Amino acid sequence: MERKNFLKTFALVAAAGPMILDGCKKDSITNSTSTTGTTTTATTTTGGSCTVTPTEEEGPYPYVGGEITNPLNRVDVLGGQTGVPLALSFVVVNTNDSCNVVTDARVDIWHCNKDGYYSGYANQPGLLGSKSYVGETWLRGYQLTDASGVAKFTTIYPGWYGGRATHIHMEIFINNVLKKMAQVAFSETISDAVHKSTLYSTHGVNPTRNATDSVFGNSSTDLANETLTLAGSITEGYTGTYTIGLAL
Amino acid sequence: MYKAKVKLVYKQVIDETSESSFEKAIFKATYEEFLMKSQAYNPDGKFKTFNKLRESDGRANSLHYKLSFAAGHFIAQLNNKIPVIKDNLGNKLSFDTAHFELIESHTEDISLHKLAINYETTELTLVELLGEYMLLTQEDPADKEDAIDTFILRMQPDLSIVSYQAINEHTLT
Repeated sequence: MERKNFLKTFALVAAAGPMILDGCKKDSITNSTSTTGTTTTATTTTGGSCTVTPTEEEGPYPYVGGEITNPLNRVDVLGGQTGVPLALSFVVVNTNDSCNVVTDARVDIWHCNKDGYYSGYANQPGLLGSKSYVGETWLRGYQLTDASGVAKFTTIYPGWYGGRATHIHMEIFINNVLKKMAQVAFSETISDAVHKSTLYSTHGVNPTRNATDSVFGNSSTDLANETLTLAGSITEGYTGTYTIGLAL
Repeated sequence: MYKAKVKLVYKQVIDETSESSFEKAIFKATYEEFLMKSQAYNPDGKFKTFNKLRESDGRANSLHYKLSFAAGHFIAQLNNKIPVIKDNLGNKLSFDTAHFELIESHTEDISLHKLAINYETTELTLVELLGEYMLLTQEDPADKEDAIDTFILRMQPDLSIVSYQAINEHTLT
């Protein structure tokens, strides 16, 4: 409910208060309802005495479960960043339950921009010199998996920074409990082509290869499981689906 | 005439005793984010406090940044005005950047959650010091021959000068 309408509604309820009081004598029942984060507790009766529970101001900064959605809860994480478009779908499945999909799992992703910098951090060394992006949230976001177990994101193909293969970070929470911390890797054939394309060409090809990367390089089996399968082109952008298996 | 180019920082500490809607919103949002994001550095749930977490795993210092994203939405609503301190005429000061700092938290006790937002001003010119008062201007006196707009700010707890560059009179001519 919009705040203005909510206040109007409250004014009406307040005005009706004496009439409700007059008609209520005993057997009160308290019902609590929550609508989009605005919790309203109302006392109703079946003939006994009762009072209308005061409604308190929520404050101008609702956010957690409030009327204003957490701004990181978004499909489009671009935040003004440019690069080769990348549309990702993450499917969360339970490996202990016949690979059935998991709904309402929170999938967080974050990655660097085309120049190899992350939003939010200060004094980042990099190929374009030290950069600070405190207060910015681009290329970060989360989604809850839908009825098909899918969380989708619209982003750009990551660039790279010294010492790491090209990657995207992920965290998966279920009921606010961290179930998986992971990273996805990219096909080097595609990465090399993207990183030589116009927007990325200042850096060129990432010298840290998947097989020698400090994270991906310790297991070729894991690397194979962590590598995104993508379709598309530099001009059209890429799309891919990655299945996140959780042993729940 | 002019003393220095300065930058000021005001540190707003927020904890369970904070009362404004802004403070309460940030307190709640960042605590919920702490519960979520601290798990990455606490796989067995062995540690309860932020400071124990980072003693155990230095990467937990990333929580300063990770929680800042939860606070950023509210800070953006300030429209670059520091919410607490005012000049002697009651005008809010503008800030350039706001840095989030997690002071302490506890995975099972929200009352121990404590954080700070450090608001840093753009470069100001310190015209004069008058006892505990600073006569400041946002204008660059080098560009002005006539009177300049100034304001007076009292030195107070949690307010500091974090950058000071003395002005050589010759640089103004």
